[in-house]
Amino acid sequence: MVGPLLETKLHVPRRRRALVSRPRLNERLSRGAESALTLVSAPAGFGKTTLLTDWLGTSAVDGWSIAWVSLDERDNDPALFWSYVLAALEVAAPGVGVHARALLQSSPSPIESVLATLLNGLSAASKDVVLVLDDYHVIDAREVQEGMAYLLEHLPPQIQLVIAGRADPSLSLGRLRGRGELVEIRAADLRFTAEEAAAYLNGAMGLQLKAADVAVLEGRTEGWIAALQLAALSMQGREDVPAFIEGFAGDDRFVVDYLAEEVLQRQPEHVRRFLLHTSILSRLNGALCDAVTGQDGGRTMLEALDRANLFLVPLDDRRRWYRYHHLFADVLQAHLLDEQPDELPRLHRRAVDWYEQNGERSEAIDHALAAEDFPRAADLVELALPALHQGKQEATVRRWMEALPDELFAVRPVLSVGYVGAFMATGETDGVETRLLSAERWLDTTEAVGKAPGARAGMVVLDHEEFRRLPGQIAMYRAARALVHGDVAAAMAHARTALDLAGADDHVGRGGPAALLGLAYWTTGDLDAAHRWYADGLASLDKGGYRTDVIGGAVALADIRIAQGRLREAMTTYQRALHRAEGTDPVLRGAADMHVGMSQLFIERDDLAAARHHLLRSQELGEHNGLLQHPYRRRLAAARLQVLDGDPDGALDLLDQAERVYNSDFSPDVRPIPAVRARLWITHRRLDDALDWVRERGLSVDDDLDYVREYEHITLARVLVARGAAESAERPLHEATGLLDRLLRAAEEGQRTGSVIEILVLQAMACQIRGDLPAALSWLERGLTQAEPEGYVRTFVDEGAPMVAVLRVAAAREIAPGYVRRLLAAVDTTRDGGPVHHDLVEALSARELDVLRLLGTDLDGPDIARRLFVSLNTVRTHTKNIYAKLGVNNRRAAVRRAGELELASPPDDRRPLGLAVHDG
Amino acid sequence: MSDMSTGHRYDAGRYEIRVKGRLDSRWTAWFDDMTLTDESDGTTRIHGPVIDQAALHGLLKKLRDIGLPLISVTQVRPDRPALPLIDPR
Repeated sequence: MVGPLLETKLHVPRRRRALVSRPRLNERLSRGAESALTLVSAPAGFGKTTLLTDWLGTSAVDGWSIAWVSLDERDNDPALFWSYVLAALEVAAPGVGVHARALLQSSPSPIESVLATLLNGLSAASKDVVLVLDDYHVIDAREVQEGMAYLLEHLPPQIQLVIAGRADPSLSLGRLRGRGELVEIRAADLRFTAEEAAAYLNGAMGLQLKAADVAVLEGRTEGWIAALQLAALSMQGREDVPAFIEGFAGDDRFVVDYLAEEVLQRQPEHVRRFLLHTSILSRLNGALCDAVTGQDGGRTMLEALDRANLFLVPLDDRRRWYRYHHLFADVLQAHLLDEQPDELPRLHRRAVDWYEQNGERSEAIDHALAAEDFPRAADLVELALPALHQGKQEATVRRWMEALPDELFAVRPVLSVGYVGAFMATGETDGVETRLLSAERWLDTTEAVGKAPGARAGMVVLDHEEFRRLPGQIAMYRAARALVHGDVAAAMAHARTALDLAGADDHVGRGGPAALLGLAYWTTGDLDAAHRWYADGLASLDKGGYRTDVIGGAVALADIRIAQGRLREAMTTYQRALHRAEGTDPVLRGAADMHVGMSQLFIERDDLAAARHHLLRSQELGEHNGLLQHPYRRRLAAARLQVLDGDPDGALDLLDQAERVYNSDFSPDVRPIPAVRARLWITHRRLDDALDWVRERGLSVDDDLDYVREYEHITLARVLVARGAAESAERPLHEATGLLDRLLRAAEEGQRTGSVIEILVLQAMACQIRGDLPAALSWLERGLTQAEPEGYVRTFVDEGAPMVAVLRVAAAREIAPGYVRRLLAAVDTTRDGGPVHHDLVEALSARELDVLRLLGTDLDGPDIARRLFVSLNTVRTHTKNIYAKLGVNNRRAAVRRAGELELASPPDDRRPLGLAVHDG
Repeated sequence: MSDMSTGHRYDAGRYEIRVKGRLDSRWTAWFDDMTLTDESDGTTRIHGPVIDQAALHGLLKKLRDIGLPLISVTQVRPDRPALPLIDPR
């Protein structure tokens, strides 16, 4: 954050004495507790805030915790908006937002993850909380609105959400209304009735008006509270009240315009000037007012205005900060603009000075922009950049940058590169190069030792430390951009330049480009260099304190090790990262990714119980604990288990989902999901679909080989082998063998043992199908030798009947006897289905076993809930867990699986399912 | 920025906004130098050039913020008769 959060925005505005009590509206607000949303929507000056603060003071809200946020335009930055919401909730119910807050501050966090975590915290809250978002009409950022829609959709019942503003929010109000989930208070409800107007004017304001006069005022203002307030102020201490009322009633001017004029005219000149000059401020305190007006006595003046009820709203209990009522501030500003337009820039500049001296850079920047003092604004933005990047306030950076004229960037290299950083953080690369070039122009001539930066005429640099790092940063951004665009050579060249430019102890300056260089090498298939550079980059980032990035980096490192056929090292890599991630509370992001990776490795080892356990663990941590690649990787791993469970359609569904949530996070796409799908088609006899895929991808056995397409080419070989088997045709087998020969040479050259083993297995398959058993055995033996030390199982077993036949011969001839025996044992268990999964049962809790048994009956969800004396939600949670643990996705499959696993009938020492405690 | 300039071509034009109540001419500057004209029926016509849709919405937001009841918004093309966009009456 640039500067801390403003506490005053979280303060429930003080209740004004002399209120008109409005029990009918308070009652309606209290009814909101049973609805999803309470909406107070009406134009300015209709008493929305007053009504809410009044209601919060009533006994109906006793015992509730109150979270309040007064919003302003700046909160259109999602990072800022949610920071305030979380801070407000923290005040109301300490602890509910801790994890969400940690997530918001770590990088990079999609807002939905933050909200999912927040919702978890909220549903655990022991107290009822009312969350009020006041002045919500200022929010027009789509990201914030989407986040609110998500929050509203999932809000637990103990939270009452109240939104107040001058315009209806972009939420599906129609649907809420239809479901009876919306409590609304609108202008028609808020207008003062004749009785309320009388109570206000004669009671609270102490005027002694006749009923007829009150009626006239009520009619002319149409019950608009702000207008009645202005009218009351105009009448106080006036001799000729009837004349005033008559004049007002007989005039057709806009009521607020007319009345504000009346009020202002009655102020002494110095008060009037104070009001106009300070109207540019969104918050006021004595010192700030003094700075802006160039006078003394600001504090005394504010207190006097407060006493006179001149539309001043105190923002804290100590009467330090105030603001004008928005409507009144607008009227004052219109007067200021009309009467003293030339004063405006000067007033804003003084506000800039004050805010800058008081360390509130964000406010200073907004006033500098309002003063159209763009160089000043640019200076401040440049200095604010590091904190903004750290606070992930990219939206704020972009708003400010876009307000600055282009020509300023031309002479401000640090600002230009900062702009690029804000762009690249959201994955955009358009226009990046132009800004980098414009920054670079200033670098060549200023690098001479001892020459101060800025020596070149016209260049403007405020942050000299950043300036020194610019050459390296520019090269790094170029490397990232080139990698995204698939230009590996350029990515490497730029990354190396960035490394050369980074100082020895500039950890972040080294870490970024080293990791990019590793990714570039990975793309070329030089895995050794890839691992070395990527690990080097992570080590630097670690020293720089970037923990999440280091944990997330394990995914790429392990991927590289797997391609190298070093499964054990891959496992160690995951375990180490997991240890770090789970060693803190809350668990750091990325732990879920590690569990998914380990699950994949356990599948290869054919330890399916362990694989399921880790997948389940990642599910428990939740998608929000995962990094950018997690959503698609988790689905890929789940799909693989589905296949082994004999549910290829479920697996295809998961692959479709995986494709939709795919995110490369700069890593090369070495296992494209469509190719994974094609392999699934091959094993499930959908050869035509697989051939369509080959044509779509334009794959041919004569293609030049490169690593990025290796997986696709091996898949092509599989298609050909399958076709040879299906059609008993020699030609496809021949083509497959030729392609595999070339793939083998390339993989051996690149020391990609993982690929080598798979290719050898396929060669053995092709020979076996062709009926050349000796050749098949010879290929298999080569494969076994390389695979045994790392414990590969499924790479062999998944190939099915032809492979089993060769393995049986190998067993008879005592080729790698122990290993082959293990592989054949895996074939047997797979075929029989049962035994391997038995240890799973331990993972089902007693309660889950109860639910599982009832799932086998005709009872529906609510019945099961009643039977077990729990809520429907609890049943749903149990059911979800049961499905995950059994690796199924519907009730029937769960029951069938329970039967297979003998969970339905009481085995020897296990708790009999038939005796659920609450039965009957 | 480049994408903002596209607004000029398609939406630039003159607009007339009618609000309920007479408005003093001091509001001219507040409404970005649009012209304010009192009508005989107790309404005010706010009219002048608007560079694009974003500017038009900014203007409408200003009306909302001071609580001025909106009656109609009309685009005025020099070569055509007025086209009402919103006209509840």
